[in-house]
Amino acid sequence: MNTLSRFLRKLSLIFRRERFGDELDEEMAFHREQAEKEFVAAGMTAEAAQYAAMRQFGNATRMKERSNEVVGFSFETVVQDLRYAIRQLILNPGFTVVITLTLALSIGANSAIFSVIDGVLLKPLPYPQAERLVRVFFSSASFPKFPLNPFDFRDFRVRNQSFDSFAAFTRGDLQLSGNGEPARISAFGITSGYFRVLGIKPELGREFDSNAEIAGNGQQIILSDRLWRTRFGAAPDIVGRSITVNMLPYTVVGVMPAGTDHPGNDYHALPYGDSVDAWWAFTFTGDPSDRGSHYIEGIGRLKDGVRPEQAQAEMNGLQAQIDREHHGDGGWKLLVIPLYREIVGSNQRMLLVLLVAVGMVLLIACANAANLLLARAAARQREVAVRLALGAPRRRLIRQMLTESLLISLLGGSLGMVLAVGGVKALVLLLPAGFPRVAEIHVNALVFLFTLLVSVCTGILFGLAPALQASRIDPKRGLYEGGRSSTGSARQRRLRNGLVVAEVGLACTLLIGSGLLLRSFLNQLNQDAGFRQDHVLTASISLPMAEYKSPAARRQFYQRLMDGLKIVPGVQSAGAGSDLPWTGYDENTSFTIEGKKPLPHEDIHARYHMATPDYFRALATPLVRGRFFKESDGPDSQRVMIVNQAMARRYWQNEDVVGKRISTEDTPTEKDWRTVIGVVADVKDTPSSASAEPAFWLPHQQAPHLDMSLVVRSNSDPALLADAMRDQVKRLDPSLAVADVRLMDRIADVSIATPRFAFFLVALFAGLAIVLAAIGTFGVISYSVSQRIPEFGLRMALGAPRRELMRLVLAQGARLAVGGSALGVIAALALSRVLRSLIYNVSPSDPLTFIGVGLGVFAVALLACYVPARRATRASPMTALRTE
Amino acid sequence: MARKPDLLPGTLDMLILKTLTRAPLHGYGIALSIKRLSDDVLTVEEGSLYPALQRLLLQGWVKAEWKMTETNRRARFYTLTAAGRKQLGLELSEFEQMIAAIGRVLKDAQEV
Repeated sequence: MNTLSRFLRKLSLIFRRERFGDELDEEMAFHREQAEKEFVAAGMTAEAAQYAAMRQFGNATRMKERSNEVVGFSFETVVQDLRYAIRQLILNPGFTVVITLTLALSIGANSAIFSVIDGVLLKPLPYPQAERLVRVFFSSASFPKFPLNPFDFRDFRVRNQSFDSFAAFTRGDLQLSGNGEPARISAFGITSGYFRVLGIKPELGREFDSNAEIAGNGQQIILSDRLWRTRFGAAPDIVGRSITVNMLPYTVVGVMPAGTDHPGNDYHALPYGDSVDAWWAFTFTGDPSDRGSHYIEGIGRLKDGVRPEQAQAEMNGLQAQIDREHHGDGGWKLLVIPLYREIVGSNQRMLLVLLVAVGMVLLIACANAANLLLARAAARQREVAVRLALGAPRRRLIRQMLTESLLISLLGGSLGMVLAVGGVKALVLLLPAGFPRVAEIHVNALVFLFTLLVSVCTGILFGLAPALQASRIDPKRGLYEGGRSSTGSARQRRLRNGLVVAEVGLACTLLIGSGLLLRSFLNQLNQDAGFRQDHVLTASISLPMAEYKSPAARRQFYQRLMDGLKIVPGVQSAGAGSDLPWTGYDENTSFTIEGKKPLPHEDIHARYHMATPDYFRALATPLVRGRFFKESDGPDSQRVMIVNQAMARRYWQNEDVVGKRISTEDTPTEKDWRTVIGVVADVKDTPSSASAEPAFWLPHQQAPHLDMSLVVRSNSDPALLADAMRDQVKRLDPSLAVADVRLMDRIADVSIATPRFAFFLVALFAGLAIVLAAIGTFGVISYSVSQRIPEFGLRMALGAPRRELMRLVLAQGARLAVGGSALGVIAALALSRVLRSLIYNVSPSDPLTFIGVGLGVFAVALLACYVPARRATRASPMTALRTE
Repeated sequence: MARKPDLLPGTLDMLILKTLTRAPLHGYGIALSIKRLSDDVLTVEEGSLYPALQRLLLQGWVKAEWKMTETNRRARFYTLTAAGRKQLGLELSEFEQMIAAIGRVLKDAQEV
């Protein structure tokens, strides 16, 4: 009750503040007059009485202030502080703009990177209880993540105790015809229970049951919401309808809701997200005792409370069982990893590196802001001394100064938020293709909260030291010295110098990081790729099994296509291969080498590819030995192959490889042998792979695959050949879709997008950092020079040459620069190991980068001192002495 | 100038309430009254009466009214309210308890 009436009275007084003040003035004046009268009556002069009354009354202003505090709400003093702070900022527009802009830039960069981290790392995966989802791989020393064999998978599914549900999937794109142009769609073969694992229910129909896994029960397909709408007009009666896929009838059994996210895959990867058009029922065909072929990927939902390591241990036990039953070599272990880790993968490291980098930029901006505030606090010493002398409590002064720094940081933060919105859009555009969860990157409430928090912390961080310093001023000294010539205590100078050393050090660390990333990026860019990316157009074609059952039909199709393409004007050479360089292809086979016994447990394997005669010519892959394939390497002639240098080196060391024979059979007969006729240059899986894997190529005529990638080298702009390429395909088979028409340049570009992205951003932040650090150094040295002008004048008057003054200032700057660079180099040595997985062919302690950047940073810092040093030499002895 | 003892913290409110028990007074009157009643021992920095009076007003322990003085000047007179009288009783008894306690301690200390 009492509190309420007190509150109401306070409230009612808010609107009568002026009258309250007037009344208080009046009664206090009355009080003093009465006292004065009394003193006069006691025999004092009027003047003496007046002073006596005032002394007896005390500080009237202070009393009025205290009365106001009694009846005011506590936030009102905050409003006062705020008003004062705003006035201060408006009075120093240059200071305000510089400090706000640097903070806005660095806070904005932090918010933008945080948005990406929030979308990619922090948001839960869009599956119910996603933490229970795991991916299951085979794993060996040479293949850390390898697909499963379907029959092994089936045994695991039946025997395991760890999984709530366990399913498998494999990439297998489809060709859709009917309802317009034939189209290639991204599709996966999935076992029953796949969507139960993911926890997504179809919006129409149902998912595949175990009957669909048995061959001969008719082909079934589930459509994505997108395909259902674009291709089938969202027909409500789609379930049960038969559609033409790969020239065969497929029955639609369901439609998945929009936003059914693909959990990502390793083998013929499709990016994470809503990227799949359709799912077809995977069928188990072939001999269940043959466990050599691996092409399906496992995904499972663990039972509640089962940890991935437990599941992995159980699966390894099952694998041992299966090995015993099928005489396996025991070479495979099982790998069970959380889906989240599989999706986020190596990008987690890169994003955290970026966050640390922007965090450093923010720290540098803080150091700059703190230094500016310190310099200004020194200039405001007199004001502070006066206020202290008038009885302002120190606590209030500190609060008021913090209000100022918080106001600045919040101003910077709001501007930064605006920058972040633009920055995030730019970042998303810059992100490498196939980056996980890009669609989930938004500036949302959490990002806003993060920005607010960062702004407040920043404000306190850079405001606290100057506020404490300023409030420590001794009012008497502050008043005597008049605030002009006081050089600041040694403590203040140490603090300022320390801040500069720290920011130069941070900038140096960032620059070394970006230097390492640049070296790595250049290494990837300039490496001998083993092929030429320019002037090449590529595309992919998938012949439907239904119409191209006979090997002869496939041979004929590709041969006629090559013949047709070759005579198109502008085409230099045209070939086709089972895959393209730098696309992460990894089909492997083991084999037997004629005349060589493998050592026990020796893993003899290589990537296998198919190619038409001009494939290597179109890619401009150099021939090292022997010859390329010829038209005459037909189905009935000698069985031949081309190997790469890595394979020649690995399996024949220094021998001449041409003429050697291998076979993919375990116990080959005479007709199973293939003869090496040529050696080609190495091409790595991706530009950042450590080295090329052993690989061999078979002539397409002798291994007629259905799916091939076209490679056409043009003598002008290769993009102009796209239509001609489509025409040639249509001429041979109008029902075929030509997919993935891309320039080889683009493919190469995409394959180095991640190192470029990492380098670009870290370099951007490092650039920002060195500019800020230079500004900071410049500021502190300028300030020190302006403080020492009288000293310089005196020195000059005593006969010091101007060069000597320059040397004095530069030496002061050099001490800071050396300290900063050394600190940066040491910090970078300690930190650069986290970059190891992000850099290629560069040591994390690369001496060239460290020494180069260290010297560069030293030079920049020294350069920042040059302008103030020049000013010192221009000090005129007369003006300098007069200011004293 | 002889140094006068500082007021015990928290006692100013009590003294103001006490001086108002006899008649309504203005600020200057309260200051005079405290000085006289204490034989000039207790003097306050007179200005500090005013923040204290605002506090008492806010608590509802005194009421204020503008009136004319005998010399025909406008002044704000403060009157003790019922709640104020109750509060004074409370504070007095607490104060007496404390004085008594301090007294006992001091007496004990002398005897040793």
